[in-house]
Amino acid sequence: MSSTLKSKLVGLALAICLIFFGVEKSYSYIIFIFVMLSIGIPHGSIDHIIAFLNPAARRFKNKFTFYLVYLSLIILNIFFWVISPFLGLFIFLIISCYHFGETQVIGYHHTNNRALNFVVGANLLLSLFLNNIFELQDILYIIPEFSNLDLTTYSNVFFLLISIVILMISILNFKIERKVPLYAEMTIIYFIFYHTDLLTSFALYFGFCHSLPMLVLEFKEFKNDTFTKFYIKTLPFTLLSVIFGFILYIFNNELLSSDNLILFVFIVISSLTLPHVFIMNDFVKDK
Amino acid sequence: MEMLNFLAATVEPGDFTGFTFFIGSVSMLAATVWFLMQHGVVDKKFKDSMLVAALITGIAAVHYFYMREQWVMDKTSPTELRYIDWILTVPLMVVEFALLTGVGMSKLFWLSVVMLVTGYFGESGVTGMLDAQIWGAISGAAYFWMAYEVGCLTIFGGPTGAVGKALASGSGKIPAAGRMLQWFVLVGWAIYPIGYMAGTDGWYSFVAISDDAMNIIYNLGDAVNKIGFGMAVWYAAKS
Repeated sequence: MSSTLKSKLVGLALAICLIFFGVEKSYSYIIFIFVMLSIGIPHGSIDHIIAFLNPAARRFKNKFTFYLVYLSLIILNIFFWVISPFLGLFIFLIISCYHFGETQVIGYHHTNNRALNFVVGANLLLSLFLNNIFELQDILYIIPEFSNLDLTTYSNVFFLLISIVILMISILNFKIERKVPLYAEMTIIYFIFYHTDLLTSFALYFGFCHSLPMLVLEFKEFKNDTFTKFYIKTLPFTLLSVIFGFILYIFNNELLSSDNLILFVFIVISSLTLPHVFIMNDFVKDK
Repeated sequence: MEMLNFLAATVEPGDFTGFTFFIGSVSMLAATVWFLMQHGVVDKKFKDSMLVAALITGIAAVHYFYMREQWVMDKTSPTELRYIDWILTVPLMVVEFALLTGVGMSKLFWLSVVMLVTGYFGESGVTGMLDAQIWGAISGAAYFWMAYEVGCLTIFGGPTGAVGKALASGSGKIPAAGRMLQWFVLVGWAIYPIGYMAGTDGWYSFVAISDDAMNIIYNLGDAVNKIGFGMAVWYAAKS
């Protein structure tokens, strides 16, 4: 059994426990924070090393150029969110679609089919949002065109059906080496999205289907390290990311002062994701 | 959706419908364990099929635990949970044909999309257009087309689509397993249109089926279909 599959099975076991035992929604913050701090952020905290591991995929001449570009992208993303939350969200979604799809197809098809990567990622995010659409309407009050839509005539089952149908139709148009297993895995993910709230859904997907498999792949590149030694290397920038989020929260603008923690967390994640996507794009080329 | 705790309630003595929910849940769970165990034993080319079989019963098991809970708590039909289960598992059952034969996935996927979507439109009335009879007829047409594609009519010497032909010309035990699957589609899946007619208004409304009876039919039908589907695939896979 591959390490990627093992990582996903850990997530599935946790998801089944949460679904079966009817864990209170209020625990979703704890689950989210735990997953983000232990797996989510660490998987991107060694970008400064990963960026220089594969000489064939190097984008940067030296560390200075790396940090300059990396931090500029983070600042640029925050700027987008500040001038227009809609633009910030749009960029985050486009980038995330590609990035999540790219890592999702590992093990099922080569990652060089960019259209497939994007479509798979778009399906995942669409399903995450559709299956938690009423919750999302509350969170995205900054986009009134969406939050004021009257969707009360539609049930949750309708949105599950729509997401499954879109997945079935879109996946058919691609030649995928292991199409059925990919479809089957996405069915499980959709099942979890339906039965858990938005934050838990995202934490489970992001933690165990995306971050942990990537963390394991990254660990394999550090051939001489034990996992503990490797994990310690992720800690400095994980800590920096937390401090960055905290500073952003303290020096907030009008948008962030509304005490919408989930939206705030998404802004922080999107800011960290933007530069990370380019590093990972190089990293997974031969995966 | 509201979270339920599947350990909270027990089926009361004399509640036969509740008992069939219980049987449904534990048999699906047992089948999942069995299919996963067999996944490690069967030939490599059948591993995906066994995994999909386990997934079908696994998803159904979770929903049956929920359904049993809802039934025991307030004696209402768990229609929403059934639909969630079907939306997730029907495409996976269709996929089994493609895994066994290597053909027809595209057409069967499209047909199952039409069958599910129009069935849901008819039962929920969410579109505000047409009536349940017409949506049901479209859904039924997609079902019968699917039955033709997978070769159900060959049971009576009739014509077949590409999937049915591939099943008949398959190697080893695939033709025999294919025949079982065709029976499941033709007879087993017929319970779903019956349930649809029981739950909607139309020319068929004179046939009244109680909630209890309907749930018993669904529960037994679901268990036989889903576990049977997997067992047919396992029959083809075992050396």
